[in-house]
Amino acid sequence: MTNLDSLFYPKSVALIGASATEEKLGGIVLKNLLGLKGRVYPVNPLYPELMGLKAYPSIRDLPETVDLSIVMRPAVEVPEILRQHAGKARFALIVSAGFAEIGASGLQEELAQIGRDAGVRLVGPNCLGIYNPCHGLDTMFLPHTRLKKPGKGNVAIISQSGAIVISLLDAVRRANIGVSKVINYGNAVDLDASDVYEYLAGDPETRVVISYLESVGNGRRFIEAARLLGDVKPLVVLKAGKGTCGQKAAYSHTGRLAGSYEVFRSILKEFRVREAADYDSLLDAAKALSCQRPTPGKRVCIITNGGGSGVLATDECMRAGLDVAPLPEPVKKILDSSFPPFYVVGNPIDLTGQVRTEDYRVALDAVRQTYDGFIIIALTGVAGVTLKLAEIVRDFRTEACKPVVAHIAQGGISGKLTTLLEKSKIPVFPSPERAVRALAMLLRDGG
Amino acid sequence: MTIRDKVQDFLQSQEDRELFREHEVKEFLRGFGINTPRGMFVPSGTAIPSPVSLSYPLVAKVVSSGISSKSDVGGVRLGIGNGDELRSAVTELSLVENGEGVLVEEMARPGFEVIVGGTSDITFGPIVMFGLGGFFVELFRDVSFALAPVTHEQAVWLVDETKGGKVLKGFRGKPPLDIDAIADIIVTVSEVMATGLIRTIDLNPVALYLSGALVLDAKMSRL
Repeated sequence: MTNLDSLFYPKSVALIGASATEEKLGGIVLKNLLGLKGRVYPVNPLYPELMGLKAYPSIRDLPETVDLSIVMRPAVEVPEILRQHAGKARFALIVSAGFAEIGASGLQEELAQIGRDAGVRLVGPNCLGIYNPCHGLDTMFLPHTRLKKPGKGNVAIISQSGAIVISLLDAVRRANIGVSKVINYGNAVDLDASDVYEYLAGDPETRVVISYLESVGNGRRFIEAARLLGDVKPLVVLKAGKGTCGQKAAYSHTGRLAGSYEVFRSILKEFRVREAADYDSLLDAAKALSCQRPTPGKRVCIITNGGGSGVLATDECMRAGLDVAPLPEPVKKILDSSFPPFYVVGNPIDLTGQVRTEDYRVALDAVRQTYDGFIIIALTGVAGVTLKLAEIVRDFRTEACKPVVAHIAQGGISGKLTTLLEKSKIPVFPSPERAVRALAMLLRDGG
Repeated sequence: MTIRDKVQDFLQSQEDRELFREHEVKEFLRGFGINTPRGMFVPSGTAIPSPVSLSYPLVAKVVSSGISSKSDVGGVRLGIGNGDELRSAVTELSLVENGEGVLVEEMARPGFEVIVGGTSDITFGPIVMFGLGGFFVELFRDVSFALAPVTHEQAVWLVDETKGGKVLKGFRGKPPLDIDAIADIIVTVSEVMATGLIRTIDLNPVALYLSGALVLDAKMSRL
């Protein structure tokens, strides 16, 4: 297991291919690095100084061995540049494209060998690199006018794809989720998802890890690292490339049935690693797991002020393997006596459109002991639902210490109500199904 | 003798064959305590002994390492009731192209059909598979996978992961089937795959009963 502290918290960073202005990618990254909690060394033989920092002609001229060197030069120059890194950098992050992803695997293999010979760990090539808001580290060549990044938080994002990491950064920020560490590792000539999983298992800033991948190098190493991480904190994987571009006409049934996605999925289950069904589920899982810790159980209670939404939620619970168990008799009795006769007292508990906010409190108090997880549906088109609901749900969760999610809709105060709930760490979702799937992530296996 | 030793011995006996013949794979499996129907291999060109020391009804199948699906080439005869039917079945089957002989076996009583297999995955290396088996296996694709080798407990988990696994536990009033027997077979197949010497194993179908399991068809190939 390598210590990746020098990668995520470098005290010194070199930028090979730094530029004077943000019209060039090397300038965007240099500007980013001005915010680094550490020493920055732009490397560019054409300039004595860049953005107020002393610039150096090559890495060999630097006054110290840097923790991290970011390489942004054309692929064909990279091998020689990397050779010069021997003894001058602990990690080299190669942003440059033009390697195995375009078929140049020979060139990429050359990098691997040079890295080994030079004693430098390699990240990439063909990657955006790292964003660590706790350390002011941002190696990504994305103009700030185009992408505003999320602030500090407890979600780590590991992505094989650059495009996906950018989308996730934006989506996560808009969902008011903060990040601990973000890495796009690209072609993974050396550092791979497994290395990052192992590191994040011991990272106190990270509470949940979401990971997008298309391929995995050494499957056994990957799944062991995933298990190691998953034992300590939730890991949610989104695996792309599910197509059954079947095996070539295999001799055996097993050969024909063992499509690589089916196998991957089975192994993830075998090792109890959560798998997100799609992009939205990955985001929703991040949101839910960033707010609340998973606990064991399958029994779910749905409290709604709209019958139809309750039915949709119930349907999704069935698909998700959650148990919408009927209310026990004593609970039913309490609620029957507390509510008007036209409220539907069952599971879901349907408080109808004539609900008053206090009804949610009465319902929650009655079911707190019986169930493992709760879905609050509040449709704010009716006057009876007020902002006080946020306080009620917050108090309930403090008492119950069990997962609670919400689906809030119908305009009006729903925006404000959502904000208040999320401030209290109750994640809110725009559809009953998404709320249920998020709850399912909070109830998997437990802790 | 370790599993590895047994596998190596078997591979040596096969010389340079890559795809193995059903009766030999079954004999190999019997060496691990896995049950197969009583039977005999009748090489092409030899006569069947008369009377045959097996109990009717019998089945007869063409043997060839080159045939991927015997039923697709008309290479299977079931429910053979007497010596005359047997002789004519064997005669017809010896005409099947690429046949090396005929395997005559006692016909198994009906059981619940499952598949146990092993293959080498590019990403994960040797893996073992369990699922709902039989003729429709590639249509239903109700299978699950685990890294080889597996423990008995993991094998039971593998069974539980499939829809077919629910039938094993007792379905619509029927009593549960012998999960331990199938788990043992899964464990053995996984240990053979874990030697890294075998490319694929296909036991399909394995007939599972209230007590015991019988491997009705077996394919294996070397890496």
